[in-house]
Amino acid sequence: MVGSLTRRSAIALGGSALILPSRFAIAQADNRPAITIAVQKIANSNLLDVLREQSNVGERVFFSSLWEGLIGRNWTGNLESVPGLATEWKRIDDKTVELKLRQGVKFHNGDELTAEDVAFTFGKERMFGDTQPAAGKTISVDFVVGGGRASKELPPEVPAVARRSWPALLGIQIIDKYTVRFVNGTPDVTMEGRISRYGSEIMNRRAFEEAKTYSDWAMKPVTTGPYRVAEYRPDVSLLLEAHDEYWGGRPPLKSIRFVEVPETASRINGLLSGQYQFACDIPPDQISQIEKNSAFEVQGGTILNHRLTVFDKNHPQLQNPLVRRAMTHAIDRQAIVDSLWAGRTVVPKGLQWPYYGDMFVSDWSVPAFDLKLAKDLVKQSGYKGDPIPYRLLNNYYTNQTATAQILAEMWKEAGLNVEIQVKENWQQILERTPTRAVRDWSNSAPFNDPVSSMVSQHGPNGQQQQAGEWTNAELNQLAVELETSTDRARRKAAFRRMLEIAEREDPAYTVLHQNATFTAKPKALAWKASPAFAMDFRAENWGGRS
Amino acid sequence: MLRFLLVRLFRAALTVALVVTFAFVVLRMSGDPALIIMSVDAPPEAIAAFRKAWGLDDPIWLQYLRYFSAIGQGELGQSMRDGRPAMQLVLERIPATLALTLPALALKLGIGIPAGIYAALHRDSLMDRIVMVTAVAGFTVPSFVLGLVLVLVFSVQLGWLPSGGQESWRHAILPVLTLGIGGAAVLARFTRSAMLEVLGQSYIRTASAKGVPWPRVVRGHALPNAAVPTVTVVGFMVGSLIAGAVVVESVFSWPGVGRLLVVAVANRDLAVVQCILLLVAMTMVSANLIVDLLYGVLDPRLRSGAKAGAH
Repeated sequence: MVGSLTRRSAIALGGSALILPSRFAIAQADNRPAITIAVQKIANSNLLDVLREQSNVGERVFFSSLWEGLIGRNWTGNLESVPGLATEWKRIDDKTVELKLRQGVKFHNGDELTAEDVAFTFGKERMFGDTQPAAGKTISVDFVVGGGRASKELPPEVPAVARRSWPALLGIQIIDKYTVRFVNGTPDVTMEGRISRYGSEIMNRRAFEEAKTYSDWAMKPVTTGPYRVAEYRPDVSLLLEAHDEYWGGRPPLKSIRFVEVPETASRINGLLSGQYQFACDIPPDQISQIEKNSAFEVQGGTILNHRLTVFDKNHPQLQNPLVRRAMTHAIDRQAIVDSLWAGRTVVPKGLQWPYYGDMFVSDWSVPAFDLKLAKDLVKQSGYKGDPIPYRLLNNYYTNQTATAQILAEMWKEAGLNVEIQVKENWQQILERTPTRAVRDWSNSAPFNDPVSSMVSQHGPNGQQQQAGEWTNAELNQLAVELETSTDRARRKAAFRRMLEIAEREDPAYTVLHQNATFTAKPKALAWKASPAFAMDFRAENWGGRS
Repeated sequence: MLRFLLVRLFRAALTVALVVTFAFVVLRMSGDPALIIMSVDAPPEAIAAFRKAWGLDDPIWLQYLRYFSAIGQGELGQSMRDGRPAMQLVLERIPATLALTLPALALKLGIGIPAGIYAALHRDSLMDRIVMVTAVAGFTVPSFVLGLVLVLVFSVQLGWLPSGGQESWRHAILPVLTLGIGGAAVLARFTRSAMLEVLGQSYIRTASAKGVPWPRVVRGHALPNAAVPTVTVVGFMVGSLIAGAVVVESVFSWPGVGRLLVVAVANRDLAVVQCILLLVAMTMVSANLIVDLLYGVLDPRLRSGAKAGAH
C-alpha cells in the first residue's frame, strides 16, 4: 500500500529505476506501491483501442501508462513534442518524414519494437481497412517476418477515424530495422504533429495477429507503455501492472487499478476513507469542500479543450452577423470562470492553444465583454426581439446548465431574447429544423496545429458545416491553404484570418472558456497532474509519499 | 388447473412482448446510439460508418421487425459498444446482483415479518410505536441517502468497512444493509396491517371464545390468513431480485445488472437493455405466477373458487 512507502525508499526506488539497467531492476524485491484510482468512466466504448475509444476519459487510462507514440508529449510540461519511441526525426521533403526508432524497446509480450510494428500499425489490417488516401495509392508493405495474416474484421468506424487523422498518408516505408519513413500523398507540414497525435500510437503486430477477434485484442492491447493490462472488466475496473522491461526505467508502481465509481459522492467518500488514492472527475463546486480537510488537495486544471457556443446562421434571427457579434460581446466570460469554476480555469485566446508553438496567434483574444457595444450592435441589426432558441443538454458538459442560464441573462441584458430549450440528446440538438439557432459544443486540438481544431471542426468537412449550421467561402479556401501549404508564414496568416472570420466578422461560434478536469488526492502523495486528462505514473512523476 | 396455467402463461408472454416493444420504441426514439457511443466529437464519417454497420439508418419499423424476429429465434443481439453478445454481458453480471439481493431478501424477511407480527400483536405498545416509527423512517428515506449515510458513518468516520467496490464479502455489507433496511420496513408495515386486519375478524374472536390458546389462534388462524397480502409483497421482492438494486449498485459501484442497465440505457445499447428487460420481465412474471399458485395453497377458498369457475 501507499502507506508503506517512505520518502527515502521512494527516492531510492526512483533513483534505482533511472540508474540501473532493467535486468537489475527486475531482481529487486517488489515492494512498490499499488494504487487505486476512482474514475467516473473508464472507457465509453469498453475497448482500449486508441482508434475506437474517442473520448477524454480514454486518454486518462491510455497515457502515459499504456500507449506510446513515436513522437511523444511532455505530459508533465506543456504537452510539447518530445522523443518517444523514435529518438529523432527529420524531413526528407514536404511529403516525407524519416524517424529513427529507439532501440531496445520491449513490448509487453517481450517482443522488440521494430520498423515492422510501425508499418503494421499504420497498415490497412489494423488502421485503414479499404479506405484510400486523398491523393495517390496506398504503399504496399512486404513484411519480412511474423505470423499469419491478420484476418480479423475491424469495426467500420476504425478506418474512418484513422483516415480522418491521416487523410493523405500513403503508408510507411521500412528503410531498415530501426528506420521508417512516413510518406504522404500531398505536402503536409503537420505530419510530425499527426505522428504525435492521439490515435498514432504503436502496437505489437504479433499480438494483433494472434488475437482471435478484434474485440479480444482491443480489450488487452499489447503496447510499449510502462504498464500493461493485467485484467479489464468493462464498466467495472482496469488493472494495469508494471512492465518492468519498460525502456524508460522500471515503473515506480507495482500496479494501478482504475475503478469505475459513477457517483461523485462515492468517489470522494472512497478517497477520504483511504480506499482510493486518487478520485478523478471532481466537479468544481466540490473542490473547496474536499480541501477543507488539510490532508487532501485537488489538482488539475485546464485541458486541451475549449467550451464554445455555436451559432446556426441560417436561423432568421441569426442571419445578420451583427446579432451574432452582439452575442459574443455580451458575455462576461471571466464572471463565468470565477463563479462556476472557482477561478480554476481560464478564458483562452480564441480557438487555439499555446502548444501550437509558431502557429499560436499570441495577440489574438476572444471578443471583449462590452455591453454597450453589444447593445449598439443589436440596435444596428434591426433585431425586433423575436425568440432565439438555445438548444441545451442537461449538464453533458460540466456546469453546462448553469452556464446556459447565465448566458441567457447576459444576452437579455444586451436586448436579445434567447429561449433555452432543454433537449435529451445530441440527435435532438443537431436536428435540422427551423428552431435550431444556438447550441453548446467543445473543441479539442489532437495535435499541435490549427488544422486539428479550426479546420477539423469548422472547416468544410468539420461537424459545424457538415451539420449545415454555418459556412463561409473565404474560410473554406483558407482551410485548404492551411492543410496543404508548406509556407509557414502564409499558413499563420491564413489561420489568423480564419480566426477573424469565425470569431469576429461572421461568427461561427464563440469561445467561452477552457475546459478543466480536477483530481483529488492526499497531499502527502508526491505526484503532479498533467494539463490533460492523461495521468502520468512514470518514475519521473512519482515520489510516493513526501 | 391447466386452463388456469395456460391463461397465466399467455398473459405472461404478452407482458414480455409489450415490455420489449415499449423499450424498443422509447430507446430508439430518444437518442441516436451512434452519437452517444462514438461521441458527438467523433468524425462524421466514423459516425456514419457506425450507423450503417448496426443498421441504424434503416426505417424504425424495419429495425423493430428485425429485432423482434431475432428474439423469436433466440438471438438477443450484440452490444453496440464492444460487439460482445448481450446475453453474455448480462449473465456475467447476475451473480454479482444476486450476491446483494439474496442476502438483502433474507434480511427483509428475517426482520420485516417478525417485526410486523410483533407490532400487530402488541398494538399501541411502546414497542409497536418504536417498530412503526423505525419502519416509516426506513421506508421513506431514499436508498441513495441511506447508502451515503452508512458510508459516511462506517467508511469515512469509523473506517470499518469499504465504501464501494466488489473485492470481498466486506464490500457487500453496506449495500446489503441499504437494500435490506428499506425492504424490511416495507414488509414490517404490510405484515402489521395484514395481521391487524385478520386479528379483527370474527373467526379469531370465535376461536378465542372457544378457549383455543392464544398462541394457537395466532399460529393456526391469524398467520395463514395474514400471509396472503404479505406473500404478494414478497412476490414483488423476489421479482426484483435481478434488477432491484439499480440505485444501490450505483452508489456502491457494485458491478451488477443494475449498473449494466444504467450504462446500457445511457448509451442506448439496445440489445443489452432488451436482454435485461426480458430477464426482469420473465423473473417478475414467474414470481407473480408462483404467488398466484401460492394463493391457492394458502387460501382454500381461492382453490374452490377456481374449481367453481372451471365448471
